[in-house]
Amino acid sequence: MLVTWKYRPRNTFIQRLDPRTRWIFLFSIILALTIPEIWDYRIVFPLFVLSLTLFFMARIEWKDVRRAFIYIFILVFFIVGLNALFFGRGGPSSVLDPSSPVLFFGVTVSKAWFAITQVTRMLTMALLAIPIPYTMDPNIYGTAFKRMGVSDKVSFTIDLAFRFLPTFARDLTITVDAQRARGYEVEKLKGGLVARIQRLAPLIIPVVMQSTVTGEEVIDAMDLRAFGTAPRSWLKELRYAARDYFMIALGVAIFITCCVLKWGFGIGGFFVPEFFTRLVT
Amino acid sequence: MNDKSTWEFGTRQVVYGAIGAALYGVFSWATNILFPLPAAGNVTFRPAVAVLIFFAVAYGPWVGLLAGFIGNMIGDGLSGWGFYWNWSLGNGLMGMIPGLIVATISDFRARSTILKAVGWGTLGIIVGMLFASLTEMFVGGIDLNTALVGYFTPAFLGNLVVTVILLPILMIAFAGVAARRGR
Repeated sequence: MLVTWKYRPRNTFIQRLDPRTRWIFLFSIILALTIPEIWDYRIVFPLFVLSLTLFFMARIEWKDVRRAFIYIFILVFFIVGLNALFFGRGGPSSVLDPSSPVLFFGVTVSKAWFAITQVTRMLTMALLAIPIPYTMDPNIYGTAFKRMGVSDKVSFTIDLAFRFLPTFARDLTITVDAQRARGYEVEKLKGGLVARIQRLAPLIIPVVMQSTVTGEEVIDAMDLRAFGTAPRSWLKELRYAARDYFMIALGVAIFITCCVLKWGFGIGGFFVPEFFTRLVT
Repeated sequence: MNDKSTWEFGTRQVVYGAIGAALYGVFSWATNILFPLPAAGNVTFRPAVAVLIFFAVAYGPWVGLLAGFIGNMIGDGLSGWGFYWNWSLGNGLMGMIPGLIVATISDFRARSTILKAVGWGTLGIIVGMLFASLTEMFVGGIDLNTALVGYFTPAFLGNLVVTVILLPILMIAFAGVAARRGR
């Protein structure tokens, strides 16, 4: 059993970006869509195309992200999409327009368009979030958070957690092997749900208890080196390049534009475009 | 409950926050990929949640908050699902709430302590998963009904079951380790 990060170095524009730029851009898009409550397809669809373009620019192979996309699609299409289609809830009240033509089983043109918009809106955000583990070096998370203003201790906790990961994954492997040698069949957890969860205890308890002992040794080592008594220095340096300024400016501009359009000009709310009504009726 | 030791944030909290996060990530990944537990509908059972609540109860609210937030980020990262800030923060809250009783616990083996830990763990699950589900209303534009029925209820039920079953076992095991270690 090998715990491996999904991350692989690739010579792409996305990976050349500073990790802080990636976080700032992701949050800019999320905030641009959510704070001014944008439902207008003329804004949502271009942002979806932008997210899709950035996703393809990351050059992640389909076999790597297939699982993630299946999970996202089930959630977005079946739980959210169908709910929007049949009930039209979650969006602005204009979705439930009683004058909207009925297509089938109480599904109106308005609800159908809302479902399409909502699924697109959610995928726009997911397409920016999914590539992060595949394209951002796990060794740089702590530094990135520190450089974004998070405290030394919290940043170091992030850094340390990533460092502990291989150790605990190895401990889990050893525990699984040791239990197998005693006749424990990991692949054949029999019985009801409660029994099956209980039977995971022989795998979980030894690893957790060993980790608490390891923790005391690490605390002693860190205290002996006077951890926390002065600001830390960080080995990895992060520097913004021109491309980072461009992406940050783009993200911030999108956010400001969405706010101005919605609050200044009343553009960005939900409406059903004429072509869609003609298409489906 | 709000005394100094509850909210202390020193080397111990940094280290156990990191350990809790790494374990949360590893066990989340293991039960996602390695030995998946049965799921009913969209209810999934993540034994890692019991480990998170145990770390919170044993080491305090900061440890629970950091272990939940970072651990969820690691678990999603290892499974390749991306980064979802509101679910990570929800997991952090799920860890922070049970951590509030850290200063009141002296014997991890006592029945009353275990019941209290399970009770506060349940409260943590409610608060954390409710936060994550309700913020989906703003982030994803879903309605309250979908947030509660489609998101909160499955997450709450799955996490509650593993907590009720595994948290007492972890606490009793820890009582033995703590007694041997003497601190």
